[in-house]
Amino acid sequence: MANLQYRLDEFKRTFESGAPPYNVPPEAIKTMHRGTIELKASGAENRALMIGAPAPAFTLFNQDHVLVASDDLLREGPLVVGFFRGHW
Amino acid sequence: MMELEALQEINAEITALGARLVAITPELERYTRNVHRKLNLTFDILTDLHLKTAEQFGLVFVLSDYLRDLYKSYGHTLDRFNDESEYRLPMPARYVIDQGRTIRGAEVNADYTIRPEPSDTLGLLQTLTSGLSSLQKYCR
Repeated sequence: MANLQYRLDEFKRTFESGAPPYNVPPEAIKTMHRGTIELKASGAENRALMIGAPAPAFTLFNQDHVLVASDDLLREGPLVVGFFRGHW
Repeated sequence: MMELEALQEINAEITALGARLVAITPELERYTRNVHRKLNLTFDILTDLHLKTAEQFGLVFVLSDYLRDLYKSYGHTLDRFNDESEYRLPMPARYVIDQGRTIRGAEVNADYTIRPEPSDTLGLLQTLTSGLSSLQKYCR
């Protein structure tokens, strides 16, 4: 299986070409690029927690409405946490 | 979605190393449930309602007006998916946390089209867990 960034780049190429099935107009692509450039320039990344910092604890509902606590997971071993904006 | 699929591909290896994986999103449970089923995930997707946890990790930003309008025109209304009327989102990020609750890996990118490779995360976990086992041997 190809690496993740390769797959993402392939998708991006299709998406930004304006071709079906997405049919994204060039102005929309331009707007998305502007958003990314401005967010980068704002220095938002530098405000995120970095290596060496203590990780905040969390207790959140999973997809089956069961509460999951980071402290319980960490008792079992190291924890990988991925943050996502959503499925869209 | 593509990143969730890629993480699913390494979840067995993560578990074999004694580690755990969770995804966190501001999306409401009725949507995470669908994604979870559709992708047959073997790890949890946790709903971070109103971005409380993402805020603690310093990942939250407000969408600019022009992006808000664009997403709305596609029906990607954050009020509907995330109960998020202020149109805030988390930057995509991947953290590796050790058992002492210290962050040992932090990948954050304001460009949401760039994601860290799952194989790099596995590599870091291997280093962490092998360091731990040699420490345990030393302590014995």
